[in-house]
Amino acid sequence: MAGRSAGYADAVAAVARAEGNLDTVSDELFRVARALEGSDELRMALSDRQIPAARRQQIVEDLLGGRACDTTTAIVSMIVAAGRSSDLAGIAREAVEINARDRGRSVAEVRTAVALTEEQSGRLSAALSAAAGHQVEVKLIVDPGVMGGVVATIGDEVIDGSVRHRLSQLRDAF
Amino acid sequence: MITRLLAAASLVLAAVTLSASAAGAVGETVGSCIFEELEQASFAGIDGEGFDAVKNLKTAYKNEEGDAEDLKKDFEGELEDCVEAPTAILPELTEIVWGGAAFVVLLALMSWKLFPTVKNLMEQRTQRIQDAIDDADRQRSEATEVKARYEAELADAKTEAARIVDEAREQAAAVRADLQARAEADIADMRERASADVEASKRQAVADLQSEVSDIALGAAEAVLGRSLQDPEVQRQLVDDYIARVGSGRD
Repeated sequence: MAGRSAGYADAVAAVARAEGNLDTVSDELFRVARALEGSDELRMALSDRQIPAARRQQIVEDLLGGRACDTTTAIVSMIVAAGRSSDLAGIAREAVEINARDRGRSVAEVRTAVALTEEQSGRLSAALSAAAGHQVEVKLIVDPGVMGGVVATIGDEVIDGSVRHRLSQLRDAF
Repeated sequence: MITRLLAAASLVLAAVTLSASAAGAVGETVGSCIFEELEQASFAGIDGEGFDAVKNLKTAYKNEEGDAEDLKKDFEGELEDCVEAPTAILPELTEIVWGGAAFVVLLALMSWKLFPTVKNLMEQRTQRIQDAIDDADRQRSEATEVKARYEAELADAKTEAARIVDEAREQAAAVRADLQARAEADIADMRERASADVEASKRQAVADLQSEVSDIALGAAEAVLGRSLQDPEVQRQLVDDYIARVGSGRD
């Protein structure tokens, strides 16, 4: 599964580099993946093979048309037509990693219960870079399940300062 | 043989003596004796002799004269003597001769035919008895042997039975001991398991209670937190705390 996602991500990165907008495409792909993650109905519609591929592509174009660049729309449409919509999150993550590596950075996937301000995001990026020992590129995800605080994932390392985690620790302590 | 002859002679003599009668005495018959008494009869006080005297005595007796009745009784006694033998010990000579001859002939016949036959019969009988005695002795000997053998077998059987009973008793004791040991082991195991079950149930109950208490406490904490987390300032503070902690390298 990971190998297949990596293959698609390499292809996506190659296309985006050719178009000169890897940074934008990877970011938009990450957002699309988050949108799919947050909507069961959309995820099921795009992965339903009973629905003709043309119809699924039409849904993608209706959703992204005007909101994302043409490259991103075309890539997502192609992935959905190929029946790989369930791999979209992994492909997006790999594409973001490739983009970050191109710039000598790593990606920090940050989940918070509420959206962060620009100022908070900047401080958080600086704090995570200091903790990781190198520059990291923060990808913010609003996840109400976190309840409060922040969960940051840099590669295999997880820095969990969420209220959910503390409650879980408290539950374990009981 | 002599004893046998003497016995036979005594037997014949006794037979001849006891069979003597008036008819055989002094060589005359009863009738001639009576006739002679009538012919020679004479009575005191009665006239005549012989048959006339008898008629006159009859007439005097009917007329109940003098001692006619006594005379008549005496004469009847004399007539009755004709019927009796002259002696009970010594018979007439002719009878002895005939009897002796008959005895000799009878003895000869018996010696010729009867005695050997009787002897053979007696010998056969003796032999049969002896055979029977021998057979009985043999059978008794065999029976004794059989009895001894049976007694020996019985003794062996009793010994074997006693051995089997002892063996069975030992086996029963072993089985009983084994069963008792197993039962005790089972009881100990059951007690141990019951104790473990009780301990596990107790632990589970305590864990359930702790879980329930923690759920209640955590539920209360979450409820309080939920209300607090709705405050944007609280959320901002949580993020700032996280940033400060990560930036300081405490995480």
